[in-house]
Amino acid sequence: MATIALKNLSYTYPEAQAPTLNHVQLTFNPQQFTLLTGPSGTGKSTLLKLMTGLLSLPRTQGSISYDGQDLAEMALTDRAGQVALMFQNPNQQFAMDSVENELIFALENRLVQPDQIDAKITAALSFVGISELRKRELNHLSGGEKQKVALAVIVAMDSDVILLDEPFASVDPAARASLLKRLVQLRDEAGKTIILADHDLTDYATIVDQVVRITPARQLATVPTSDWSALFSAFAKTNQSDQRWPLPDETATPLFQLQQVALKQGSHQLLQPTNLTLLKQHNTLITGPNGSGKSTLFESLVRLISYTGKITYLTDDIQTLRRKRYARQVALLFQDAETQFLNITVAEELAQSQKYVYGDYFTQARIDAAMAQLNLTGHEDQVIYTLSEGQKKKLQILIMLIMQSPVLLMDEPLKGLDLSSVHALVALLQTTLASTKQSLIIISHQLTGLTPLIDYHLLFDQHQLQYREATT
Amino acid sequence: MNPSIKLLLLFIIALEISFTMIISLNITLVILAMIYLLAHRTKLRTIGWLLIVPLLPAIGLWSTQYINGSGNKTLMAWVLFTRIYAFVFTGATFTLTTNILQLADALEQNWHLPSKFAYGVLAAYNLVPKIQHEVQIIRTAGLMRGQQLSFWSPKLYFKAILVSINWSQNLAQAMTSHGFVEDAPRTHYRHSVLCWQDWAILIIGVGLLQVGIFLVPWV
Repeated sequence: MATIALKNLSYTYPEAQAPTLNHVQLTFNPQQFTLLTGPSGTGKSTLLKLMTGLLSLPRTQGSISYDGQDLAEMALTDRAGQVALMFQNPNQQFAMDSVENELIFALENRLVQPDQIDAKITAALSFVGISELRKRELNHLSGGEKQKVALAVIVAMDSDVILLDEPFASVDPAARASLLKRLVQLRDEAGKTIILADHDLTDYATIVDQVVRITPARQLATVPTSDWSALFSAFAKTNQSDQRWPLPDETATPLFQLQQVALKQGSHQLLQPTNLTLLKQHNTLITGPNGSGKSTLFESLVRLISYTGKITYLTDDIQTLRRKRYARQVALLFQDAETQFLNITVAEELAQSQKYVYGDYFTQARIDAAMAQLNLTGHEDQVIYTLSEGQKKKLQILIMLIMQSPVLLMDEPLKGLDLSSVHALVALLQTTLASTKQSLIIISHQLTGLTPLIDYHLLFDQHQLQYREATT
Repeated sequence: MNPSIKLLLLFIIALEISFTMIISLNITLVILAMIYLLAHRTKLRTIGWLLIVPLLPAIGLWSTQYINGSGNKTLMAWVLFTRIYAFVFTGATFTLTTNILQLADALEQNWHLPSKFAYGVLAAYNLVPKIQHEVQIIRTAGLMRGQQLSFWSPKLYFKAILVSINWSQNLAQAMTSHGFVEDAPRTHYRHSVLCWQDWAILIIGVGLLQVGIFLVPWV
């Protein structure tokens, strides 16, 4: 049980001009569940990394203390017992190959006696409800499963304070609800202090004790309980969607035709042999629980992984097309924005897209306007890898849009974006598509703000991929 | 058998057969390695592949030596041919029967190498398949932006190195957040044993090798 005090805390990244956090003052009480919210790119990750000691705070820039003990003076070996962090990216939290070995590694580090390790692993896995994943390889797990494993490691290490940095960014509603339930249980039964950063406010209203917002002045402000209902209901309303989309018109021009296509991940069947047609110049939304195989479907559409059956693009089997030509027709917006980048600075990325562009829609003026619309103006000379996750995502979408490939597959394009960025982005997509007539296929868990773009809806669930008339 | 001692023995064997020209010794090593593999229930198909895959480089070496070599061309050609197989089969006795995790455990616990090194080796090994897939992804990402990244393209390597640096930083953070502290004491769930039998196998193995090289009158 720990009271966490942030005193006069400021942090400026070496290469940045403005401080990311500016004289932050706040106390977190023990055994409380705090929701930390604020637009993407405003320093939530930075704050959490400082609080774990992964980023070190210069001595003159304030202090972070746990029960009066300064984090900077705490022995490194004691830190993990005090505070643990769950990362946003599920692929970047593990050092070992399998679930069991990762847990063993963490417990060995915590100096747990070898004869107690087995019992602790069993307990942690069954607490999170993933006992069956024990022997599995981490590489073969879905994002949601990985986050559950990450929580199991934290449970096993028994840290007092649990920090979570947008942990549900690529996790489906079912896995998210299950993880949230465990966190509440950890607070109520084990007395853990929990601080969770998220910009999606769904489901938090009834479970959190405190809501803290990052202000435009880069300070922390506690949101008074009286304002909660307004805050949560505003978000809930935008997230409610009883939108119904029609079934596709059988006579329209097909874009992709799947004939008996089946997908596998390791030995695990993702998609049973399926026949399906996706339509040209329409935007199709694909939803479904994580781990169902949506991203794998995209990877097979761009020939990054193998599949069985036949996929036809317009008139040709995609395996018979030359890679170079096909890549100019069908482009993939990767879920992880960094994967898309080939250069160093923002300006270089924009220049590369302009150089190899396919159509003439994106003039310099239109690019400048889009940069402003996405709130990226002024970042031209910045190194891409120092942008925030939200800024990276917006830049990634812009550079792929500039290319004007006839087909753009978008894997979680709203991931890590706050509501105002989502609206700006969807507006940009709408105006662009009206002129360029591209076809979009979009995988998204988050529907807020996205619905005006969508023509048809596919549901990928339980090894099936089918058109749906309504979102559920 | 302790994996670190096994590795050491194989290194010594590889080093010595690199400097000897005894065909029968090479063949003996191949046979012994094959018996060891069979005793460890290696599939016959795997052994079949071990025989087929090195055939091309072995024939290449043999013919180069036979056509262009000097001195006793026939002898040298067959020495090189059998040596390739000796390398492949003795190497396979390690790679096919030893888990990299056991090697890391042995390096950390028996040889007291810094745990950072042992786990670094392990993490790098676990990354290999990811790196292969990543290179494919980078090339596809390039094509989608109109640029062909060939295998000698600096951009491909720049990007791959960038990804690796990024991964290594993330890996370091992941290890730290899971309680790993450099040079701090840790407990060990898997106990790596280094007993007198391991040393005996090493000494007897190296001894027999010397007998094979210097004393046995091979024909």
